[in-house]
Amino acid sequence: MLFSVKTPWRRAGHALGLLALIVMTAMGEQAQAAPQTFNTALPVAQGEFVFREQIVLDQSGDDPSVADRDRTAWALVSVLGYGATPELALFGVVPYVDRTLEVTDGGMRQRRGARGLGDISLFGRYTVFRRDRPGRTLRIAPFAGLKLPTGEDDESDGLGRLPQSVQPGSGSWDAFGGVVVTYQTLAFQIDAQASYKANTEANDFEFGDVARLDGSLQYRVWPRELGAGVPGFLYGVLELNLIHQDKNRIGGSDDPNSGGLSLFILPGLQYVTKRWIIEAGLQIPVLQDLNGTGLEKDYILRAGFRLNF
Amino acid sequence: MRTRLLRASIIAITLGLASATAIAGAHQYRLRVDGLACPFCAYGIEKKFNATKGVKAIKIDINTGTVTVTMEAGGALSEAQARQIVKDSGFTLGSFQTVPGPAGKAGN
Repeated sequence: MLFSVKTPWRRAGHALGLLALIVMTAMGEQAQAAPQTFNTALPVAQGEFVFREQIVLDQSGDDPSVADRDRTAWALVSVLGYGATPELALFGVVPYVDRTLEVTDGGMRQRRGARGLGDISLFGRYTVFRRDRPGRTLRIAPFAGLKLPTGEDDESDGLGRLPQSVQPGSGSWDAFGGVVVTYQTLAFQIDAQASYKANTEANDFEFGDVARLDGSLQYRVWPRELGAGVPGFLYGVLELNLIHQDKNRIGGSDDPNSGGLSLFILPGLQYVTKRWIIEAGLQIPVLQDLNGTGLEKDYILRAGFRLNF
Repeated sequence: MRTRLLRASIIAITLGLASATAIAGAHQYRLRVDGLACPFCAYGIEKKFNATKGVKAIKIDINTGTVTVTMEAGGALSEAQARQIVKDSGFTLGSFQTVPGPAGKAGN
């Protein structure tokens, strides 16, 4: 038994998402080398824009319960940054999402899902410490922002309202903040980030707060020796993400089958030239200590590009 | 004795004039940019300099962090101006050097 959502809202979401991508692509001028799963403290030149596009496939399954849940979430994430001053950079993140959940209920296999513009995030990052030396830099930059309830959060199908896990938006205003440290040399780059996201309630549902520690090592594997000019760099990438999420709250009570601790590792590649970057990586769970029957992730595939115009 | 003094004065004046002409004609500068360590960052600096009035060409050697700026004929770049452009790009000016002589001969 398969159900799908077809509403004017969804079509409007598609149009808005496409419009956002077109506008952001047109505005994009510059981008920085950075980790694939989190931010960097590298600068955005004053008065310049940075642009990044990433496609993300988030696959969860291997459900031990009788429901045999299988969740697939695609996202096309566009990031636009602007250098307000040499120290202050402002960012907008626009996701376009397509989420489906398959469950077995009463012996019937059901497929439910929705797609559309997700929740837009806006944040600022301020470089509080910078030490530049020939061929290397160390930077520390706190950041803070807000996730807006721009995604549709009340999608439904023939079975009723869709579960919160497949709604394009959360419906809630969520604040987040943290600090990112970057040490970059000509041979390698290290980024580390600590962050916290405080989720709020919407539709009688509240996602658990998220605390995370991220680390990234990018190592130049080619060319081994640098000559004159500005050659392209091929980096080998290794990232770690330690993520703790509190239990969700439904109707004011904790959901015992949600939240927990996860550790991911991402091996990947990144090719950086003066005008463009292509990158890809596979985020694999190393540890998933989830509460109750929380659905485990199988993998998260990330691929993207950045362009200088 | 008088002839020798006169000859020495002429040589000194000629050398002085030649030196002044070389400085006035210099329109290439070599900068060391500290903190520059990736190709995309290099492009940001290139863009900022190319948007500066009078800049004819820019060449970056990422390995040495050297940025060579060539100005249009008669154009000039001050150290303060270069420092501000590098700062706006998000980096630090390590050193500023005027390359004497015709552009492209002494500097490259």
